[in-house]
Amino acid sequence: MSATPAVSVNHLTKVFKGHLGKGAFRAVHDVSFTVEAGEVYGLIGPNGSGKSTTMKAILGLLNATEGDTSIFGIPSTEVASRRSVGFLPENPYFYKHLTGRETLHFYGKLCGMSGDQLKSRAEEMLALTGRLGLAQALIHEPQLLVLDEPTAGVDPSGSRIIRDLIIEFRTRGITVLVTSHLLEQMQEVCDRVGIMAHGRMVREGRLDELIAVENQTELVLENASPDLLAKIDALVKAEGGGTRLLRSGHPRTTLERLFIEATTEPKKP
Amino acid sequence: MSQASPSSAAASVAPVRFSPRRVWTLAYATMTQLMRMKILPFLLLFCALVAAMGFGFSTINPEQQLSQFKTMSLGVLQVFSIVFGIVATALLLPKDLEDRTLYTSLSKPVPRFDYLLGKLLGVLMLIASGLVIIDAVLSLILWLQQSMLFASAVSQLHSENQDSPEAVAQIHEIVARQGLTWNLHWAVWAIFLKAAVVTTVALLLSCIASSTLFTIVITFCITIIGHGHAMIREFILQPNLGSTATRIATFLLATICPDLAQFDVVDSVANGEIVPWAAVYEMTGIAALYMTVYLFVTHLVFVEKEL
Repeated sequence: MSATPAVSVNHLTKVFKGHLGKGAFRAVHDVSFTVEAGEVYGLIGPNGSGKSTTMKAILGLLNATEGDTSIFGIPSTEVASRRSVGFLPENPYFYKHLTGRETLHFYGKLCGMSGDQLKSRAEEMLALTGRLGLAQALIHEPQLLVLDEPTAGVDPSGSRIIRDLIIEFRTRGITVLVTSHLLEQMQEVCDRVGIMAHGRMVREGRLDELIAVENQTELVLENASPDLLAKIDALVKAEGGGTRLLRSGHPRTTLERLFIEATTEPKKP
Repeated sequence: MSQASPSSAAASVAPVRFSPRRVWTLAYATMTQLMRMKILPFLLLFCALVAAMGFGFSTINPEQQLSQFKTMSLGVLQVFSIVFGIVATALLLPKDLEDRTLYTSLSKPVPRFDYLLGKLLGVLMLIASGLVIIDAVLSLILWLQQSMLFASAVSQLHSENQDSPEAVAQIHEIVARQGLTWNLHWAVWAIFLKAAVVTTVALLLSCIASSTLFTIVITFCITIIGHGHAMIREFILQPNLGSTATRIATFLLATICPDLAQFDVVDSVANGEIVPWAAVYEMTGIAALYMTVYLFVTHLVFVEKEL
């Protein structure tokens, strides 16, 4: 894994100026996190929590009011940072006058690709993903994929295919930054998550650590009988034979429950 | 798909430079996008209208008939190119924003200036293509009309036994001056330059405004004011006219609006006057200067625009 994080967000604050009597709106407040190269990072939060604003700042589509963001060490304000990024916006539309292949060729040419290299890459991406949105994001072989609600408006089987693709991307060493409302799927694919609410990062870290419940302990037994369960406290240390104490640690809640708890906490001033 | 190597990305920090190839990709996509907006039937309709106009005027005398045809067709052509330039440009950015193609394009290594220039060139290429086609149709009709009128006038002289070589030469000179000359093409070129300047203004306004309607209305207002630029200048140069506030506002208006009267050669061409090369160079230079300034300001606005 490279020492340079794939994405670095440092004390990002974004305030949208007010217009026509409307006051200024603070969409993101002092958010910091990093996405290490090669991992899948889930940015989750309710609507209006500041996820999309954070993503846009990372992609250089918005300027930060305070703080900064960078991609593989290059500030997002520099166009060069986009060389290694593929972006799939939520519910993307494409030029209606272009076919799927023409659309991929258009985006490939924007990235400086041409000729047989572009044609073969377009075919490869269409075959791999079967989805134009993902294919255009991958056309220039980015090392970072930013996916904004990739499963929005997609049926369950399509949603599962996207989940499998995200796992495939990780296997190939592509870093993925993804937002989704499908928390179960996020739990399946993400190495780390950040939960945003009211423009702030309210939880952040490794998924398996975040969903651990600190004040409880669980015992995972193999081949345990009902009787054994009743006597477990007394017998477990003395038990031998086929019964083994496989693991002791913290039982886990679900990401969904953690999300609801985190996002319903009272708003900080 | 090849394995990604994160470390190589950190190393590639060379800035992304202006790329004519990228601009061409964007311009070509913009042009084909606009072509799909049913612009071709509109163009054919315009050609049919021009053809009908060419033969629709009653014969007063050859000179007047050719002059009327040029005035009408070039006038309509001017309105067509300006309306098309404004409306097409005003629709482009909001449409890309709504479809999120702006996000997918600008999240690639595409400098915003390349994007803007590509969009502008796409609109201008389509206007230019339309004008070239119409210019060809116009030239053909004018040449046919010119031949017919000359033949008709000579025939009339012959029937009146007045077809002396001097009289025929005089008719030929009148018809030739009002007929198909390079002046017609210069008039079409001037129309293109004016449309190009107005289109660049529309691009600037569409970067500032969030409403397409606002962009269209304000650009039309600027176009109208631009045709009266000489009056505004005259007002400013008169020291005793208007209050200080009015004079400042007028000065600002004169600074913002382009002087579109600089491109008004249609009347001269319709009257059979010769457009000198110097005038063509001057018009081209003025248009290039206006477009450069407006595009520069547009870039300054767009580079800071929150998407």
